[in-house]
Amino acid sequence: MFSEDILTEEQRMVRDMVRGFSRKELAPRAAETDLGSFPEDAAKKMAELGLMGIAVPAEYGGGGVDPVSAALAMEEISAVCPSTSVIFAVQNSLVCDPIFAFGSEIQKKEFLRPLASGEKLGCFGLTEPSVGSDAASLQTTAIRSEGHWRLEGAKRFISNSGEADLCLLFATTDKSLRHKGVSAFIVDMNSPGIEVAKPERKLGLGGSSVCEIRIEGAEVPPECLLGSEGQGFEIAMKTLDAGRIGVAAQATGFIRACLAASVAYARERETFGRPISDYQAIQWKVADMATEIEAARLLYLKAARLKQKGLSFSGEAAMAKVFASDAAQRAGSEAVQVHGGNGYMRDYPVEKFYRAAKAAQIYEGTNEILREVIAKHLME
Amino acid sequence: MDIIVCIKQVLDHDIPPRDFKVDEEKRAVVPPANVPPIISNFDEYAIEEAITLKEANGGKITLLTVGDESSRDSLKKCLAMGCDEAILLNDSAFEGSDSFGIARILAGAIKKIGSFDIILCGRLSSDWSFGTTALALAEALDLPSVSQLQKLEANGDTLRCERVLEDGEEIVEVSMPCLLTASNEINTPRLPSVKGILMASRKQIPVWGAGDIGVDTSQVGAGAATLELTKLYKPDYSTLCEFIEADSLEEAAEKLATRLREDKII
Ligand SMILES: Cc1cc2nc3c(=O)[nH]c(=O)nc-3n(C[C@H](O)[C@H](O)[C@H](O)COP(=O)(O)OP(=O)(O)OC[C@H]3O[C@@H](n4cnc5c(N)ncnc54)[C@H](O)[C@@H]3O)c2cc1C
Repeated sequence: MFSEDILTEEQRMVRDMVRGFSRKELAPRAAETDLGSFPEDAAKKMAELGLMGIAVPAEYGGGGVDPVSAALAMEEISAVCPSTSVIFAVQNSLVCDPIFAFGSEIQKKEFLRPLASGEKLGCFGLTEPSVGSDAASLQTTAIRSEGHWRLEGAKRFISNSGEADLCLLFATTDKSLRHKGVSAFIVDMNSPGIEVAKPERKLGLGGSSVCEIRIEGAEVPPECLLGSEGQGFEIAMKTLDAGRIGVAAQATGFIRACLAASVAYARERETFGRPISDYQAIQWKVADMATEIEAARLLYLKAARLKQKGLSFSGEAAMAKVFASDAAQRAGSEAVQVHGGNGYMRDYPVEKFYRAAKAAQIYEGTNEILREVIAKHLME
Repeated sequence: MDIIVCIKQVLDHDIPPRDFKVDEEKRAVVPPANVPPIISNFDEYAIEEAITLKEANGGKITLLTVGDESSRDSLKKCLAMGCDEAILLNDSAFEGSDSFGIARILAGAIKKIGSFDIILCGRLSSDWSFGTTALALAEALDLPSVSQLQKLEANGDTLRCERVLEDGEEIVEVSMPCLLTASNEINTPRLPSVKGILMASRKQIPVWGAGDIGVDTSQVGAGAATLELTKLYKPDYSTLCEFIEADSLEEAAEKLATRLREDKII
């Protein structure tokens, strides 16, 4: 690959290890996982290898790698098992990273350590039944009462919530303040007043649960407020900014899977006495996929590098996510096309990436909203 | 318990046959583009066994490989799995060595290291599959050796080794220092953890050449090789399907057996 020479030894080693893990542990079960079973064994192995808190420093039980390595790991998992890539993304970018970035020393010891070591699983609760893109209008409330916070409301489409032990949950202490009224709470999913509904039935990503969380008078102790009161919206936005590097890497992995399957199939499948790889119509499809992989990878690597250097990366991460997920959607469609009727069938691997790629255009900021973010960076 | 593990970096054999190319004129395999080399399969079992022994008994694991600069990648991976030190044996005089030459180089390096309890190797390399280097090394160092282990237990100063044989197994006791070769039944090699990788990436790998290990350069390298490769080619595999016609299963089985015997398959 072209990016080989721009990676450090450590980054290449992390990538190669995760590639080996994905081939060995995820590939044999990827089809089954996609049909709806949470990959429990894989999650356990990922914990052992240090992948459940990959970027969290070792002193808090994590792997301690840089943002580039974390993104490369994401690409590797995604190229094999889309559902597992969502579990990895939520645990790392949406839960561990913000607790590390915004948590107090005590919170890092108490909450981050078990998450980063993979003992506990986390989820990220921002979206609500009536609020998605417009996160500043969220309706879940947090009222201070008798020495704790009392939470009321509901969260919807929350990945990992079916299995999670903790939720980074966003609620407003004053709706009239809009985004300035939002606070972030680390909520124990087993607390009274928290109820997880049965998983949604969705287009793809079957092994990753997405549920509604009903919150009825859940009491959260004050030490579970992440950051300061009113800082929640900033925490959510910064978390999603970084999360998009992961989604871009994920989508790059999806395209890679589509390309590999398409090339292999095109060389084998013969029509009119020739392998279909002889036809220009097929060649152009794989050429486009290969080109978009390189472009998508360079985009997310650039954003990851900026993050590593402590520079602003919000616009670059948004571009990377939009480009990679749109390209993955195209690649999924074209990979199914290269496979003909077989491509539409579950016996072949490509349709699962096609279905998964659609989600990457929606979560962590829809591609429409992100184009607005990109434009804002240009016009301001 | 101080252990030395000798590993070899090889071309990844897990590639589609169509991507496997041979340069018949140069009598060499053409390394496939974009496929990084790997640690020879059986060597990973040797590494895992060494780490298991170290975890139970303490000690240090030193890795040795004869290879070019690119072999650092494999050494680093083994360090990340849990080995302590690695030394790369690289010198232009080593190029083209056969198994016996490699054994002489390894023996030189091991003499320089000095003390150790066990040398572990894979039972054979996954590229040429000769299985001679490890045993030649034992010979060069005048050590007892036990090959093809499927199980290893340490009891004080002796090691109880279970060897895989074609028609069963053999149990052997050996005292240390000794050389052992691991078969794939012995364990399941671990993947390196993220923490292991970070630790490994900070480790330095020194290079030792012929001069450092006191190896007589006339005894190693292509010039000293006693084995000559006369031809290297890709076998031409083709498949042919033949139906055995018969009235009963018994008759079909008999005809099939006869047919297979005719072709000297059974
Ligand atoms: C598989 C999956 C997993 C998810 N996991 C999580 C999770 O773990 N945690 C979590 O909090 N959420 C999660 N979500 C929710 C996801 O983040 C939201 O669905 C997403 O933010 C969009 O919100 P919405 O569904 O309310 O759509 P809306 O906001 O209602 O948008 C509908 C459409 O209108 C467009 N639109 C909206 N506003 C504008 C505008 N101003 N300009 C132009 N177009 C606009 C959108 O782009 C979209 O096309 C997940 C979703 C999916 C599909």
